[in-house]
Amino acid sequence: MAKYPRIKIINGEKYFFRFDMDLRIQHIFLAGTVVILVLSGMPLKFSDASWAPYLYSMFGGITMAPTVHKVTGAIMLLLFGYHLFWIAKVIYKNHYLPMKREGTYSTKAFLMRILKLPMVPNKKDLRDIIDLMKYLFYFTNVRPNGDEYTWKEKFDYWAPFWGMFIIGASGVIIWNKELFTQIIPGEVINFLLIAHSDEALLAGLFLFIWHWYNVHFSTSVFPMGTVFLTGYLNEELMREEHYDYYVKVMKEEGYEKEILPPHGGGHAPSCSDYSSKDDDGDTSSDTVSELEASDELAKEGGTAA
Amino acid sequence: MLSHLIKRPQWSFRALLIALCLLPGWVFAADMGNCLLCHKYPGLSRIDKNGKMKLMFVNEEIFNKSVHSKVKCEGCHTDITKIPHEPAKSVDCLTVCHIIEPTSEQKFSHKSVKKFIDESVHSKVDEDGKLKKFSEDMPTCKDCHDNPLFRPLAFVKKVRPGIAEDAMGRCRVCHEKEDFIFRFYNHITTRLHKSRSPLNIAEACGKCHDDKELVKRHGLTVMAGSSYEETFHGKAANLLSETIPDCLDCHVVKGKSVHQMYGNDDPRSSTHPNNRGAICNSVDCHPNASVQFANYQVHPVFNRDQSPVVYWFTTFFYILTGGTLLPLMLILFLDLLRRLFPNATFRRRK
Repeated sequence: MAKYPRIKIINGEKYFFRFDMDLRIQHIFLAGTVVILVLSGMPLKFSDASWAPYLYSMFGGITMAPTVHKVTGAIMLLLFGYHLFWIAKVIYKNHYLPMKREGTYSTKAFLMRILKLPMVPNKKDLRDIIDLMKYLFYFTNVRPNGDEYTWKEKFDYWAPFWGMFIIGASGVIIWNKELFTQIIPGEVINFLLIAHSDEALLAGLFLFIWHWYNVHFSTSVFPMGTVFLTGYLNEELMREEHYDYYVKVMKEEGYEKEILPPHGGGHAPSCSDYSSKDDDGDTSSDTVSELEASDELAKEGGTAA
Repeated sequence: MLSHLIKRPQWSFRALLIALCLLPGWVFAADMGNCLLCHKYPGLSRIDKNGKMKLMFVNEEIFNKSVHSKVKCEGCHTDITKIPHEPAKSVDCLTVCHIIEPTSEQKFSHKSVKKFIDESVHSKVDEDGKLKKFSEDMPTCKDCHDNPLFRPLAFVKKVRPGIAEDAMGRCRVCHEKEDFIFRFYNHITTRLHKSRSPLNIAEACGKCHDDKELVKRHGLTVMAGSSYEETFHGKAANLLSETIPDCLDCHVVKGKSVHQMYGNDDPRSSTHPNNRGAICNSVDCHPNASVQFANYQVHPVFNRDQSPVVYWFTTFFYILTGGTLLPLMLILFLDLLRRLFPNATFRRRK
């Protein structure tokens, strides 16, 4: 881990480690192939739309675009395969081997450890969603504090994961329909075609609206989030989206005295009592006093709402 | 010079003759009866008994690039013998026209088509020669055919629509008459592929086969055109593929003509369940495909009564899409709104 310090300080600003180079390259490949696949596939789904021929001709029209689509799809599937391998490698190296070394390995303990990995959805995500709803419907003025990966990020991860499996598998079969129908009946291709295109539409809309809003267009990050390029997230966004994790990392890295209050949403002006919400109850007195100080500040200018 | 010509009419006649020879040969090909005297005017039209406007204008340039450009007007409009004429009757395509068919040296006619049509699924009469129910729905020649333009194929290394000057060059070695070469090349190469694109053909068939009422009263199971459009074939046709299979590629028996189409339950039909596999796995399409490959529904129906499984499968994806996106869009919208009033709350402020 020494290669990627969890907190990097550049010009006095703290940046928090999120994604290593391997993951970032995987993401670039994924993003690139998704864009190409959607653009070269949608004109076919909506072939009678007025824009379809124009967009399709950008990929060489009906003589070339299907090839572009298939090659890009193949690249995406290779990436998917690599990602599965990557997951296996990480689990083996960081969880299986250590457990074996410590002698604590049992199938049950191993599975429990896997289920506690930060990317696996858990009860906190459900609580956060409920708390976010309360916030969005004005029942409270405090946004939930996110962990290392928020429910939005888990959704953004698992939705394409499932999508890639469905779309990829159906795509490969439709591509090699003559081969596969030696075994499966021809009617199945009809269903696969529906699954392929409808799931793709869902994935496309999901990514280009929801994902892009969260990582680029929301007023907190606009005009562009850079974490997918640099791998590091700035302190402000860290405090806004991953406050629980932020506090944890700050403490573990010895910056306990520099912990700032949550940022954004209802937090900034009246970020009242982080200490009382903190289940651990071990927030240092320094932090509390700092929080109180910012609370004072907030009261001065925060009466607008 | 001009006065010279006027004084000596035989010179002006010769000048005119020379000028005529310089014009492309086909200009006067069809209009021996001087019909264009009137019909060359773009506005020439009249309202018929049904109150419909009929355009009588003939665009000579376009007509001369059509397959009938060598046929005189009165070759088809046989009821017109003098100018001015009475309202013309509609053309009977089975007329014996003045063109001599070179192989038989007989006058040419499309009459042989009738025999095929009468045996086909599109016949107006049944096997016993009695008129079918709703026989008026059955297509006549002009429901499918217009006067198609030549659509030559360009050969010699490149297969694309158009005239291959390289190929024409070969003709010119032996044949002298430019007009003949042009027409002969067009005549042959237009027939080496379809005179219409797959989309065009699907639209032509769809005129009847996508007509809800008509489909219902003839007891057909699918809307052929719109269901074709649900498959890759139809979508590619929409995007102007020339090579994608259209209606005729599957429904016309190989080596036969479009006029010899039979119903799906007729064992002679290419789409009869016993013959279907052979259409799909032809060398040009999906070679080596299994017979069950042909069970793929090329006319999928998404309606609840006809294909409940497909219907619910599609509905599942609608629900999945709506169920995922709508809540997320709501959150997105509320989030944007919340950013305007980050501190507001109904309850006690924490």
